[in-house]
Amino acid sequence: MTLRADHIAGVFFIALGIVVFALSGDLPFGSLSSPGAGMMPKLIAGLMIALALAVLVGGGTSERLAAIDWSDRGHALMVVLITAAGIFAYQRLGFLLTMSLLMFGLLTVVERRNVLRAALYSVALTLFAYWLFGKALKAPLERGLLWF
Amino acid sequence: MDTVFDSLLLGFSVALRPDVLWFAFVGCVVGTLVGMLPGIGPLAGISILLPLTFGLDATKAIVMLAGIYYGSQYGGSTTSILLRIPGEAASVMTCIDGNAMAKNGRAGAALCIAAVGSFVAGTFGVIVLTLVAPPLAGFALGFGSPEYTALLVLGLIFLAYMSTTSLTRTLLMAALGLLLGTIGIDMMTGHFRYSFGIAELGDGIGIIPVAVGLFGLGELLATPSRQVTSNVTSPRLRELLPTREEWRQSAMPIARGSVLGFLIGIIPGSAHIISSFISYALERRISRQPEQFGKGAVAGVAGPEAANNAASTGAFVPMLALGLPTGPVIAVLMAALLIHGVPPGPTLINDHPNVFWGFVASMYIGNLMLLLLNLPLVGVFVNLLRIPYAYLYPLIIMFCVIGVYEVNHSIVDVWIMLIFGGVGYALKKFGFDPAPLVLGLVIAPIFEMSLRQSLIMSDGTWTIFLERPIALALLLVSAALLTLSAISMLGRDWRGRLKEAARSE
Repeated sequence: MTLRADHIAGVFFIALGIVVFALSGDLPFGSLSSPGAGMMPKLIAGLMIALALAVLVGGGTSERLAAIDWSDRGHALMVVLITAAGIFAYQRLGFLLTMSLLMFGLLTVVERRNVLRAALYSVALTLFAYWLFGKALKAPLERGLLWF
Repeated sequence: MDTVFDSLLLGFSVALRPDVLWFAFVGCVVGTLVGMLPGIGPLAGISILLPLTFGLDATKAIVMLAGIYYGSQYGGSTTSILLRIPGEAASVMTCIDGNAMAKNGRAGAALCIAAVGSFVAGTFGVIVLTLVAPPLAGFALGFGSPEYTALLVLGLIFLAYMSTTSLTRTLLMAALGLLLGTIGIDMMTGHFRYSFGIAELGDGIGIIPVAVGLFGLGELLATPSRQVTSNVTSPRLRELLPTREEWRQSAMPIARGSVLGFLIGIIPGSAHIISSFISYALERRISRQPEQFGKGAVAGVAGPEAANNAASTGAFVPMLALGLPTGPVIAVLMAALLIHGVPPGPTLINDHPNVFWGFVASMYIGNLMLLLLNLPLVGVFVNLLRIPYAYLYPLIIMFCVIGVYEVNHSIVDVWIMLIFGGVGYALKKFGFDPAPLVLGLVIAPIFEMSLRQSLIMSDGTWTIFLERPIALALLLVSAALLTLSAISMLGRDWRGRLKEAARSE
């Protein structure tokens, strides 16, 4: 049997529905006249499993799993990792440092741009965003290590 | 009619204030840019820029955000015509004949027809909105919990029926959204649901982090810079005027697209996208020269452009009159109104007339502004497309992070955005449309509350939905749509045929 995209998707959503049921153990279902906190999640999880089964069963005509184009996965992974590092650092280093480093990282590591040009661009754009949000719109931005 | 006219005058007195005009202008300019730039659609644009409105009152906020929405419909046509890259999904059909016109040396005329078509359709949409929304809101004031439950069920079924993917896949995404919407404290019993000890999850998962993740970050992850080209030729101003024959050929498609787009716009689903597909198919079907489609047919630009703009305006009717989001963009706009303490729905017109009528009036002005902006400044906007995408998307990611963080000053929200960026990327790979997920997330609290209240009211009897005429009528329509979907699944689906027609071009 050829493994297809909808087979994987169907199995994933069925598993997710089962996980939701497992996590809902302590939530009371209640009764129809007095619905509990667990009624809606369990009903929806059941519906999701049924729909996922339909996707799985009808998956024979979907795209072959091997035919899905993952050529952008390297780009996606690098962007996710650098953004995750930026999020992790945001409250520690503050807005100016984190955003400058985030942009610089994306430009140099992912895009292989000239280091000096990337540094100038990152700092200039971060300062502009700082002025726009922090000064013009008075949004409280994280200060972190810097004093302003 | 006099009341509507007087109220509209009140709206214009609000919308013509210099400060409100300024924010309408900013929204239109930003919307045009959002529509033009690949990798950032109206939903991500509005979500990212939502924090900019926190210091504003509700009227200015909604005027600016709505300006971004309908401005993006205008902007999307520019990249479609000049680059054959749809800046946003609704402009896909414009690519076909718009770009063919550009290759035939008629880029300016195509841009002008797209802008005028958008203006006419947008203005038509606002006029009908002005007339339809107040009586519809008055009618909806009589709705109780069972009617709202039935209305939301109908909304979900309509969404699935109109979706470009299959019924089961759309409903599956909506179910996932509804499930995510149950995270947090249960408002009726105080139980914590799936919060895993994370305090921030007690308030549930926000719409903004999910929307920015799925539609902003997810799109950027799937778009490596090497895939984005920017060989742009900007037309000269004197080349913008279409010939008399081109005006003649575009008149009726614009009229048809306006009516069709508005009607589809008020139905839940990706209306502005679907309306442009259907308008293109319709124009091709009734054309005396169908063989011209794909080779630069004026009707292939005028119809879809008018339809997607009218649909954008039509989508505001259920939002303003019923408090019902018809798509993810409208859902985020609803969230924006709620953040500003203005609940959208039937009570909006009576409780906040300045916001409602000011917003409606601003749409008349916004459409005119966009027409005046887009044509003379097309060269300026096009120059922005020359910025390499590799330099653009890090900036967008920075705005995503700031935008999401500033909503609640919560780093958990930013992590949620990143997770949903990955989810959006995966969904794209597996051919799932994430729009129903966002819609499910938005309506989950209202749906759960109205369903449970209905059951409590009826002492646990499901027949309450069949005993109330409006609820019964809404459920019958839902059942009819489900049956129609099942029948169409057995035969060859019209959506598939539409896609094939588009692909064959």
